[in-house]
Amino acid sequence: MLRRPRRLTLLGVVLWALRVGIVAGVVVGAWATLTSGGLSGGTWITLLAAGLSQGAIYALIALGYTLVYGVLLMINFAHGEVFMLGSFSGMFVANALLSADGFMVSYPLVGLLGVFAAAMLTSMLVALVLERVAYRPLRRAPRLVPLITAIGASLFLQYTAFGMFGSRTRRYPPVELLSGRVEIFGFSFQRIEVITIVAAVVLMALLFYFVERTRTGRAMRAVSEDKDVAALMGINVDRTIVITFAIGGLLAGAAGVLYAFLFNRVDFGMGILPGIKAFTAAVLGGIGSITGAVVGGVLIGILENVGPSLLLFGLGVPSPNQLRDVVAFSVLVLVLIFRPTGLFGRKENV
Amino acid sequence: MELRPRAAARRAIAVGGIVGAATIYLSMVGLVGAFARRPLVAGVGGDGPGVITLGLVMLAAVPFIAGMNVASRIRFGAVAGSGLLSIGSAALSGLVGGLLLGAFIIVADAIPLNQIFIAVTSALVGVLAFGQGPLIGALIVTAVGAVAGAVGGSIQMLDSRDRRAILSGIGIVMLLALLEPILDPILDRIELDDVRDFVFSAGGLSQAAAALTLALVIGLSWAWGRPAAPLRDRMRAVPAEQRRVIGFALAAIGVAALLILPQISTGFVSLVLVNVGFYLMLALGLNIVVGYAGLLDLGYVAFYAVGAYTMAILISPSSSIGGPFEAAVGPEWAFWLAIPFVMLVTALVGVLIGAPVLRLRGDYLAIVTLGFGEIARILFGSDALRNWVGGPNGVVGLPNLHIPGFGEMSGPGDYFYPVVAFAAFAAFVAWRLSNSRTGRAWNALREDESVAEATGVNTTNYKLLAFALGGTLGGLSGALFAVQLRTVFPGSFLLIVSITVLAIIILGGMGTIRGVIVGALILVGLPDALREFGQYRFLVYGAALVAMMVLRPEGLFPSRIRRAELHEDVDADSRPQPAASGQATT
Repeated sequence: MLRRPRRLTLLGVVLWALRVGIVAGVVVGAWATLTSGGLSGGTWITLLAAGLSQGAIYALIALGYTLVYGVLLMINFAHGEVFMLGSFSGMFVANALLSADGFMVSYPLVGLLGVFAAAMLTSMLVALVLERVAYRPLRRAPRLVPLITAIGASLFLQYTAFGMFGSRTRRYPPVELLSGRVEIFGFSFQRIEVITIVAAVVLMALLFYFVERTRTGRAMRAVSEDKDVAALMGINVDRTIVITFAIGGLLAGAAGVLYAFLFNRVDFGMGILPGIKAFTAAVLGGIGSITGAVVGGVLIGILENVGPSLLLFGLGVPSPNQLRDVVAFSVLVLVLIFRPTGLFGRKENV
Repeated sequence: MELRPRAAARRAIAVGGIVGAATIYLSMVGLVGAFARRPLVAGVGGDGPGVITLGLVMLAAVPFIAGMNVASRIRFGAVAGSGLLSIGSAALSGLVGGLLLGAFIIVADAIPLNQIFIAVTSALVGVLAFGQGPLIGALIVTAVGAVAGAVGGSIQMLDSRDRRAILSGIGIVMLLALLEPILDPILDRIELDDVRDFVFSAGGLSQAAAALTLALVIGLSWAWGRPAAPLRDRMRAVPAEQRRVIGFALAAIGVAALLILPQISTGFVSLVLVNVGFYLMLALGLNIVVGYAGLLDLGYVAFYAVGAYTMAILISPSSSIGGPFEAAVGPEWAFWLAIPFVMLVTALVGVLIGAPVLRLRGDYLAIVTLGFGEIARILFGSDALRNWVGGPNGVVGLPNLHIPGFGEMSGPGDYFYPVVAFAAFAAFVAWRLSNSRTGRAWNALREDESVAEATGVNTTNYKLLAFALGGTLGGLSGALFAVQLRTVFPGSFLLIVSITVLAIIILGGMGTIRGVIVGALILVGLPDALREFGQYRFLVYGAALVAMMVLRPEGLFPSRIRRAELHEDVDADSRPQPAASGQATT
């Protein structure tokens, strides 16, 4: 039987024109850049490494979004601020360890572990308070209400950090273990980039183990499937939600330390952009999917580093790297318009 | 709730813990330090001892409110002296809070935390400890906490008429003192020097004026306030004819006061109100999109930016279009001829942004629009579009606004009347829309899209219309903003603008114009007028958004429909069951 052709609406035409236009723009831009030969192979490798390491950080944050969305169907807009506060806390510990007879210099590994622990615990604590004060009272409210609350919480946490720690950009102390370059396959990479990727992979492996192999992980999956049925099966839903927020916080705290080492800056507004980009990553991968968050994070990281040079350089756009955030936001907008379920998403979540 | 003494004590101590945490938070975030510099009621002889600062009031308000809360929650039933026990619980919670803050004072004095928490300085310790040593200070703070809690509890135990009188007395004295920077220059300008010398002293109310106002307001409020008869119910008792007359008269007085204000006050007040006007127009526009049609738009600042840039490019002689345009129509008319273009462009942008996101609902829509807003900001500030919109430098050198028949506006404060006129126009449009067929279609769309579509509402067109009209109002605001500032920078169009506008309509109550006006005055006017606020205003916005959503999601001035929606469960329980009552009568 022949399928009846769908009615052609004006909107459909506009969307198709948009699709064609984007594909054409990408092809033309990439072709122009690659044939112009203005950028060498080494440049691409550098951009790719930067993209991978930033992508790993986005993936860590995106996991927090996706886990929470999985169990509560809400966008935890304040997650970027959870990440920011963890970064601050790690910095204070790092500086304290440095001034305490140079502990950071003589035992760098122990010191770094302490920094990570402080950041992760702080972020976890903030996430838990957030859940208790701002989100739990609204569990049954209409869907937009928790989102607006989350926006408010995000603003509140940002300016709490502003009031407490000031507007000055602060830095982590230099750690020898993390600086310098390494040679892999004949290419030279920044050591911090490699370490970021390794650390992120380790954390994600732990998360996979936890979600797939432990009882609590199984409870989390059950709650994200159906809260009411999970409760009937004897799962403590409140406790599971709290654990989900805690895990999201722990990962965000680790991401905060890695991000601060990578970009060498800590300030009260640092959570906004990585937060939105990580959310983009979660959406790109299919929100609610753990694999999706990881893949999405890495893709966003690579796209925003490689994209501007690849697509815009050849077209003669001045200073294309100013537009790297535009690339990330465009990906967000386009994914939501054309494939809101993302790469690995389930249909019913949209 | 009736509790046994031990359970009651435990509860009171828990509340005390919250009081302590809240006061310590306020100190650590720097609000106490910033507000301690602002006197509300002057001391003896102006600068003498006994100054009541805003910081002190804020700190004391925490145990005070907690005390009211505790006394209303913890009751001991019909035991003799139960009222005293409730007040005792309130005092206990204040005491515990004070103890915690006292401990904080001692710790902050002993350990230098300044390296981490920049607000925790020796100056802060001095303020908190009332200028005494840390130990004595801690004792004073504990006592103050206990007293504030007990006073709050006692006021809660009074009957509602007395309570309302006392609370409104305190509230109005505080408001008068807060508005000193506005009222003082007005009194100066209209040359009531004797009144001014009596009322204000050393940047706050004088002690005599504060006491007089307090007594006056309490007396009047007590004499007026029959128990359990709020103003709204009494208004309802008035016949409809008279009610309309009263409403009209009140509105006329309000408008007259507004129009006369710049004549009797300083340029500073005009400037604050001009800023309020910009945000009011933005909020009215966003209210159409969010409040009427229920489409949460987090990138609303894009319209503000597009409106401002369109106006700037059209009338700035330094841009490639503006020069010839102005030469053709003359400087007097350039702005007015550009306005229709601005409206057209922003409406078009509204449709362009709206069209691809039509299928998205709720939170996804919010995030996409946020993406659009950020893309717009980055593009306007980038080198890629430098030739058209000036990149990071923006567009400069916009001519002053000419109003035919009135001449040229020279200072930023002169824009008061044009902004009022434009805002009134926006309010009129919003008001007419809300009661129209279109408004009802939007309501239906907001309630349930599928049902709306099934009943014959063309959801596509009405959604696009909401984006276009909301965008137009935002664009108008931007156009006026550009002319008033005479320059346009990408830095004016940050995400925080969108969130501020959202906070305004949430605070006021989504969907009502009255609420939007009050929201703009509170969230933009008040922090602008009180310079001590500085960056802390955003902290307050955030807290306000969370608190409103958790405690009162319908806003301060909700529309009737909206309130019913958000309290469905309550209404369903309290409403008499039609079936049951039907059976009873037959």
